[in-house]
Amino acid sequence: MTVDALTPWPDTVDWRPVSPKLITVELIVRWSWALILVAGLCVGLVLQGHWLWQLGIALVVLNSIWRSFVTVRAVRAWGYAERDQDLLVRHGLLVRRLSIVPYARMQFVDVTAGPLERAFGLATVQLHTAAAASDASIPGLPPAEASRLRDRLTALGEDRAEGL
Amino acid sequence: MTATEPPSTAVAEPEPRRRLHPLSPLLHGAKSIAVIVAALSWQTLSQVGLERFAIVVAIIAVGVVVFSIVGWLTTGYQVVGRELRISDGVIWRRNRAIPLERLQAVELRRPLLAQLTGLAELRLEVIGGGKTEAPLAFLTVREAAALRERLLRLAGRTRAMEAQPTDQPAAEAPAVPALERPLLRVDNRDLVVSQLLTPQAFFLPVGVAFVVLQFVLEGSWTFIGIASTVTAMAGVLLQPVRRVLQDWDFRLARDPEGRLAVRYGLLETRSQVVPLNRVQAVGATWPLLWRGQGWLHLRLDIAGYAGEPGDAKRSDRLLPVGEFATARTLVWEVLPGVDLAALATSPPPSRARWLNPVSLRSMGVGLTPEVFVTRWGVLTREMHLVPYARLQSVRVVQGPLQRLFGLATVYADTARGRAGQAKDRDLAEAYALAAELAVRARNARGPSVQPVWQTPQQL
Repeated sequence: MTVDALTPWPDTVDWRPVSPKLITVELIVRWSWALILVAGLCVGLVLQGHWLWQLGIALVVLNSIWRSFVTVRAVRAWGYAERDQDLLVRHGLLVRRLSIVPYARMQFVDVTAGPLERAFGLATVQLHTAAAASDASIPGLPPAEASRLRDRLTALGEDRAEGL
Repeated sequence: MTATEPPSTAVAEPEPRRRLHPLSPLLHGAKSIAVIVAALSWQTLSQVGLERFAIVVAIIAVGVVVFSIVGWLTTGYQVVGRELRISDGVIWRRNRAIPLERLQAVELRRPLLAQLTGLAELRLEVIGGGKTEAPLAFLTVREAAALRERLLRLAGRTRAMEAQPTDQPAAEAPAVPALERPLLRVDNRDLVVSQLLTPQAFFLPVGVAFVVLQFVLEGSWTFIGIASTVTAMAGVLLQPVRRVLQDWDFRLARDPEGRLAVRYGLLETRSQVVPLNRVQAVGATWPLLWRGQGWLHLRLDIAGYAGEPGDAKRSDRLLPVGEFATARTLVWEVLPGVDLAALATSPPPSRARWLNPVSLRSMGVGLTPEVFVTRWGVLTREMHLVPYARLQSVRVVQGPLQRLFGLATVYADTARGRAGQAKDRDLAEAYALAAELAVRARNARGPSVQPVWQTPQQL
């Protein structure tokens, strides 16, 4: 029996992707760091002129290109699904993770958006339970979807509230 | 009891803020001084001489006591409705309200000095804090016991019961006689033997021999040198001794409300009351050296408990040492319907051997009607039982190596404490397991009213 780690229960669960704009945001972050690193290495190159500096620059650029491809795939791998009783979140390429968080166990919901995310009209929704280990965070949601999800989660959480 | 407690008949009427016991600053001071003296260490004593050392300690002592008295003056607590409010802090004032329905467990702790003075510290465990959030230190024992009974009573009341006219609970609270049903008493001899059968105890003679040898070879027999070495060694090697002192005279009982009452300790006695529906998980450990005796150790995971798992300061014992039959009855008491002897587990697929060459045979996962069972460990065998009703979330994680073999790990997360871990299962099985756990957790949670555990049927 073959099962794809990224799409469990393909028949019953309606997986929703996160916004592709998240790719742009992630790429900007990645390349900003790469630029800062390259700039630093360039200063070293000008001052010293050793070939190791050039090697360093090449490595940083190559790594960034490689990671960019990974980023594209990683963002496409994010997915979430709202079922009647629980929220499913899956993510990760190298380490693949799937979380099942019942609404009844929700303690609170966070909606966060950094400056770059805001510029692209994105937000992150994170569901917290009493267990520190549960990770149910969904990045790259359009604000409307994020607030809809937040309201839905809190409403469902209230419906099924039992505390702990 | 009734003398100290004002007749608070109506819940709405706020009762006066109460202070801790007047002796508490002295006790706090004594503890701080002990810590400071330990910090100054033998080195300082040898450098400055005994007289100056005594003067320094005296000055610090006076300072600490003055500070503690100011702290005592500013600390107070009161019960308002279903909340306990505690205000404290000298420079940074803090006013904390604890909703009692969130109370996980209450512990009454009596360190040596408190035992001599007839005082006790009341520790409330609530979820969300890294440490015990509300230690009330110190109260008289009667006051503390009465307050604990009252808080648990308030905490145990559900919303539905709250809706009923409730004038009497506060008034009737002190009238409840302590009719507990004793469950277990651990023989102190077993406890001592069990702690002698630990790696530390086995290494102790080696350590002593090493130190003696070192001094003989170097020929420097100074008091300071020996004293500091002994102090340093005590920290590491005397953990079994600490365990013995802590778990001394371990007693377990069910109180009339069906809660678990745990009492233990020699120098510092602890008396803990845990409502059974606050038990997040139960862990059983069979250490290698205890196997000759067939002993095991039971651990109770409660949300909100301070400290890391395995920390000696943490009050998480259900059974410090005992035989299998004892453990079996205990588990039945704590998780009704769970028979420790009849927990079938299935091993991971045999291709998981590549990832766990040694431990494969000891790993297993089982679903019983009440709990999710996982077991692992070759030398120290462990078993972890998570009731479905306490599951917070379920996760399936697949690492790169696991993907190579088509395996995945399922985690059953609970609030605080260890998650139930089904390592290296077949991927399809892992997803099925996760789905099954989610369904069972939902069914087990059932109606919103927490079940009241009546006397369960015996084995």
